[in-house]
Amino acid sequence: MSQKNSSEAKRTARERMQEERAAQEAKAQRIRKFSIIGTVLAVIVVAVVIGLVVQNSRTSSYNASQAPAGTIGANKLVIPVGSTAAPSTLTVYEDLRCPACGSYEKSFHTTVNQLMAQGKVQVQYHVVSFIDRNDNGTGSKNAANAVACAQNVGKFHGYHDVLYANQPDETDDAWADKSKLITLAKQVPGLDTPAFESCVNSNSFGAWVTAVQKDFDKSGHTSTPTILLNGTSAYPTYNGEQISTANLIKWVDAANKGKTPASLAPSASAALVSPNASPNASG
Amino acid sequence: MATDQMSRTDGKESGRGRRTAVVTGIGTAARLGLAVVWAWAGLAKISDPEAAAQAVRAYRLLPESLVKPFGYGLPFLELALALLLLVGLGTRIAAGLSALLLVVYIGSIASVWARGISIDCGCFGGGGAVSASHTAYLQEILRDIGFLLLAGWLIRWPRTWVSLDGLLATD
Repeated sequence: MSQKNSSEAKRTARERMQEERAAQEAKAQRIRKFSIIGTVLAVIVVAVVIGLVVQNSRTSSYNASQAPAGTIGANKLVIPVGSTAAPSTLTVYEDLRCPACGSYEKSFHTTVNQLMAQGKVQVQYHVVSFIDRNDNGTGSKNAANAVACAQNVGKFHGYHDVLYANQPDETDDAWADKSKLITLAKQVPGLDTPAFESCVNSNSFGAWVTAVQKDFDKSGHTSTPTILLNGTSAYPTYNGEQISTANLIKWVDAANKGKTPASLAPSASAALVSPNASPNASG
Repeated sequence: MATDQMSRTDGKESGRGRRTAVVTGIGTAARLGLAVVWAWAGLAKISDPEAAAQAVRAYRLLPESLVKPFGYGLPFLELALALLLLVGLGTRIAAGLSALLLVVYIGSIASVWARGISIDCGCFGGGGAVSASHTAYLQEILRDIGFLLLAGWLIRWPRTWVSLDGLLATD
């Protein structure tokens, strides 16, 4: 009896010890599990928070004082060409690397230049740079910065026309090489100076270029070229009518009906028609 | 442990041991594969925060106030998942969160597709509007379903080789 009792007592004691050990192990296991869950969540939260802070600090750096001279609009993101007194406004969102913009410029830049020279329209350029995202590269941004450098010395219009006349294929990121942009600047009388070259090479208006693109992102327009005549889309159609040089002139005249075109000095008109004519020859 | 002992003593059990090894092997490959996918996706998006924000904006699902937090934050969430899967810490949770994120991505792409918006998914950088002929919604969704299968495997069989989970012996 007593022997049996004591062996039973031993067994229960052993069982109790085992149970206790198992319970302890289970508890330790739980703690390990929860600490892993905690670590996982902590890693994620820390990564995301760091990401938000870093990305925010990288992008909030633009203010209007960094814009090239002569730009207009609330944040000075718009480059105007032509007289401010012109009764109509042609708003143009273009990417210097975008082939559709290239073909728009090829078809219409002569007409648009004439309309400006006649004081009928002012063109407001938004130089966007999103092709770099789609096709990879830096050509759009480099070119946008370069035209900002030209704008800063009052030579945007001519350089803009030269770049479009020499646009590389969309998939060829030729303007990743800034020296090509500088070579093309030689076609614009008086543009290629050491100051201009350093402006292009050091990406002086990079923050402005980013801000212009950001503004386009938020505009709701999703493609380039986006052309607005007095705020109404004019590309590829304007009120249901297909764009052509004749139609563009007709639309502008219709919009300007009853209004006086801006009066421009002959030299200013001539400069708008052919912005890259040598000033001595035309003078 | 128990399986090891049994496989040594019982011939029948060695088949199960082999099967375990195969499952663990596939799991390891799935874990590292998914880690590479997240790392690639995350790294491709961090260089240009504005592009990442625009990729989010283009889905037209979130209000403007949430576009930046998501555009800036998602790549880092992806990198965090990549890191966790790479070292094999909390594999099941990381796989679960991966699956959740992939389901959200698949749903978003399907929603854009259904609404007739033409965008690039921006899954591995890029993103934003593209011409209608350049959309690839079906491929993007199928690709994400493939990644979802990897995550699903890891949720079911989270045990893998060379993992911190294994080192810490939790299961």
